[in-house]
Amino acid sequence: MTTEHEVRRPDRVIIRFAGDSGDGMQLTGDRFMAQTASFGNDLSTLPNFPAEIRAPAGTLPGVSSFQLHFADHDILTPGDAPNVLVAMNPAALKANIGDLPRGAEIIVNTDEFTKRALQKVGYDASPLEDGSLDGYRVHPVPLTTLTIEALKGFGLARKEAERSKNMFALGLLSWMYHRPTEGTETFLRRKFAKKPQIAAANIAAFRAGWNFGETTEDFAVSYEVAPAAKAFPTGTYRNISGNLALAYGLISASRQADLPLFLGSYPITPASDILHELSRHKNFGVRTFQAEDEIAGIGAALGAAFGGSLAVTTTSGPGVALKSETVGLAVSLELPLLVVDIQRGGPSTGLPTKTEQADLLQAMYGRNGEAPVPIVAPKTPADCFDAALEAARIALTYRTPVMLLSDGYLANGSEPWRIPDLEELPDLRVQFASGPNHTLDDGTEVFWPYKRDPRTLARPWAVPGTPGLEHRIGGIEKQDGTGNISYDPANHDFMVRTRQARIDGIEVPDLEVDDPHGAAILVLGWGSTYGPITAAVRRLRGAGDAIAQAHLRHLNPFPRNLGEVLARYDKVVVPEMNLGQLATLIRAKYLVDAHSYNQVNGMPFKAEQLATALKEAIDD
Amino acid sequence: MTDIGNGLLQLVPRAEARQSMKDFKSDQEVRWCPGCGDYAILAAVQGFMPELGLARENIVFVSGIGCSSRFPYYMNTYGMHSIHGRAPAIATGLATSRRDLSVWVVTGDGDALSIGGNHLIHALRRNVNLKILLFNNRIYGLTKGQYSPTSEVGKVTKSTPMGSLDAPFNPVSLAIGAEASFVARTIDSDRKHLTEVLRAAAEHPGTALVEIYQNCNIFNDGAFDALKDRQQAEETVIRLEHGQPIRFGAGLGKAVVRDPATGDLAVVTDTDENESRVLVHDAHAASPATAFALSRLADPDTLHRTPIGVFRSVERPVYDTLMADQLDVAHELLGKGDLGALLAGNDTWTVAG
Amino acid sequence: MAYVIAQPCVDIKDKACLEECPVDCIYEGPRKLYIQPDECVDCGACEPVCPVEAVFYEDDLPQELSAFRTADREVFDGLGLPGGARGHAPLAADHAVVDAVPAPSTT
Repeated sequence: MTTEHEVRRPDRVIIRFAGDSGDGMQLTGDRFMAQTASFGNDLSTLPNFPAEIRAPAGTLPGVSSFQLHFADHDILTPGDAPNVLVAMNPAALKANIGDLPRGAEIIVNTDEFTKRALQKVGYDASPLEDGSLDGYRVHPVPLTTLTIEALKGFGLARKEAERSKNMFALGLLSWMYHRPTEGTETFLRRKFAKKPQIAAANIAAFRAGWNFGETTEDFAVSYEVAPAAKAFPTGTYRNISGNLALAYGLISASRQADLPLFLGSYPITPASDILHELSRHKNFGVRTFQAEDEIAGIGAALGAAFGGSLAVTTTSGPGVALKSETVGLAVSLELPLLVVDIQRGGPSTGLPTKTEQADLLQAMYGRNGEAPVPIVAPKTPADCFDAALEAARIALTYRTPVMLLSDGYLANGSEPWRIPDLEELPDLRVQFASGPNHTLDDGTEVFWPYKRDPRTLARPWAVPGTPGLEHRIGGIEKQDGTGNISYDPANHDFMVRTRQARIDGIEVPDLEVDDPHGAAILVLGWGSTYGPITAAVRRLRGAGDAIAQAHLRHLNPFPRNLGEVLARYDKVVVPEMNLGQLATLIRAKYLVDAHSYNQVNGMPFKAEQLATALKEAIDD
Repeated sequence: MTDIGNGLLQLVPRAEARQSMKDFKSDQEVRWCPGCGDYAILAAVQGFMPELGLARENIVFVSGIGCSSRFPYYMNTYGMHSIHGRAPAIATGLATSRRDLSVWVVTGDGDALSIGGNHLIHALRRNVNLKILLFNNRIYGLTKGQYSPTSEVGKVTKSTPMGSLDAPFNPVSLAIGAEASFVARTIDSDRKHLTEVLRAAAEHPGTALVEIYQNCNIFNDGAFDALKDRQQAEETVIRLEHGQPIRFGAGLGKAVVRDPATGDLAVVTDTDENESRVLVHDAHAASPATAFALSRLADPDTLHRTPIGVFRSVERPVYDTLMADQLDVAHELLGKGDLGALLAGNDTWTVAG
Repeated sequence: MAYVIAQPCVDIKDKACLEECPVDCIYEGPRKLYIQPDECVDCGACEPVCPVEAVFYEDDLPQELSAFRTADREVFDGLGLPGGARGHAPLAADHAVVDAVPAPSTT
């Protein structure tokens, strides 16, 4: 039986899959994303899940969702308002309906809309029947029943068969949006290679979902979003998440520096995936050490740095707090070390699975004494790759710990990434000290561990095993040059200023300003707000408003031209997912009356909301 | 020169020329209080190092914070004076990434057992190839005399004017409980014994913990006099030697036996009658039970019946070796990492110009 | 390198240093005390307690006392490392440089 379907061709679509945290929504979204990526759309994703591994079933706090925005042109955010919501239960409907514009499509799993499940989330009557969803296009589908029926011949227990309902939903959505399906079937065969029966069942559920769309009149319309061929420069692409890109960036930095990679880390959300990923690549000479705590994680990394490794520790905000003293030691020892902070909601344990940018001042100042540390922040998931290489360049060139500030949104979000040619990667090779670097008055050749390179102010990196360069370093103030303990007041003053000068003198690219119309107002961002800010700026310009945009990758030191850029504009607006931390730094350093626009709800900005705020600033 | 031949030390390059104690003295003036036990330990270590015959540049001393942690500055090797309690963690990163190094940790009772207690026990359970010298003076010296986690109960100090309340750690018991593969105890002023223990520790593959009773002549003077005074020492010190019956006291008239009823250890007067019951020290015993029981023999207040020597020395897999093996296996199974292939992954598409 | 005991000790032998020495490396001769240089750990505990200021770090010995630089080392030639002064018999003879110091006049 075939039905004539109408096919519509929108330029972009936003889909949100929502269900219980045990329903497999992240996997479903991930697969839809992979299909979409291989089809050639531009895309951006926003996974959103509770901190609890299995929050009580059917409750609002237990809802897990995955939003995906894909288009035939380049896009910058996971989208503000979904065109389609897949709600696997009443909780998923209730938690997400507020984000849906009228007219959006809602696919609900009617099997889960039982009296008890409805009561659990405070529905007195079923929203499917009380008319409250009249403004939406609702597709009631008994997903569970259909899945169980489709898997009848597989000899699975009911509970087991039920588990494949997410694949049924994926099949249905794949039909609706004309997604290629081979990738998902291959994926399922690989994932369940050791349980062929389960693999076959999932594939059957997936196909059943597809066929359901094809044969049911309820789904009269399907959609085709053309590949975004024009949006992308020539090249080979893949889809990549921020944490994966960051892990690959670290491995690439290790290769480009010709130094073994050492990761000392303690599991923490949302950074653990970097530990997991790096642990899989021991054949690249990567050593990963799961330490007893955050402090040991960075301690081991610092020990490896002393021994000549490219050393990294990965964590989130609470872990940075614990590592602070060791970062201070690394500042004093002047050894290269990457401290990766995947920021999450704070303070304290805060919101482990939600995003925030509130560790900027901690990264900048969160240590005792004058302990300057360079800060690099990626702006998109794929950019985590380049940011990792840039952080490594700074650490290795200037012999300093570097903070790499990603966040939960970048870490778990994903986008297409043009795979770089290896020849494009920067040369990060370093020269270890190999002999004496100083001549005493009496003509003796000696090695001074704190004699600096006059250009970079970096000290020599003399690794154990090098004859004749035996030396002792530590956290007590050192005499300039010799590195011997010194309590001399003038020397301390000199060393404090020199350490600061070394960081201030780091060469970073000038800030680029996007200002096609000579605007009077500048929006300045950093980190993961790049997508929403850029999308908002596009909307404003589309509506005829003039606004300039600049985005900071280097937070310490700032680009040399930042002060001059800020001075060019009548007004500077700084949107941040904190209470104004970059704005504070800008105001203090450049005496600019920067306006903060803040949001700390654990979610990224929405483009529309930012556009409204920026419009107000323009009109003000 | 002793031939030290375990598999791990062979990874460390050997010195080309014969070394002397002088080669291991740095140019830095030693700045402990006059009379500090640390001087004796430093002299013993500097005197012992040439015997190892390792290239000086492949030896690293890592310390935390405290009086003893100044130690690396005085050794003409590579060294790091780090932060309070963290030396075992830092040394773990160094030792696991550089198996061609001989890595030593110098720490004190506050550094290792209080602020750094976590790192110590985890280094021990992992069996990282580290030699940890724990200077135990049962007091905080650098902060001027507060009680430490090894101070006896009721210790009157500036921070405990009415006496300390907390029961002390027994470092040897703690280490054995933390799965240590090598645990020994020695005394700062007994250079011969200290050197013997250092030798055994250096030869041990894996983490070796050496507790060194060390006198702080400023804040806790005479803490170990019961073990140092010649007359008293005969009655107080039990010298453990592997394979030898455990006897001590004047004319070795006392012996350690196992109480058949409780399984505990007891001290008896050595007679012909109980000759056969005298415990023969077995440092290599697979079970840590007897070593632990020996660590409990001493009276924590009077230090009577304090065993010194190697309590436990057993071979078990070394963390750094296992880590290196995994890298080798990954190489064999997957081949040398191909970055281009890694970055590309399995799911790509091409955009043509 | 070690501490040495110089002329001011001769015929005085106050022995305050013996109490202070943590490694028991100061031995008694007929007219002077001697530091066994290989047993000495350079801790300096003996130096400030000497009432006649006879103890010096080897390198810091004043010019006029330079004859005593090697006396402590040489007196142990043939004795090796006695392993602690307590319980050790006093040395049978002084170093020649001590013998050369005139005996105090008796009145």
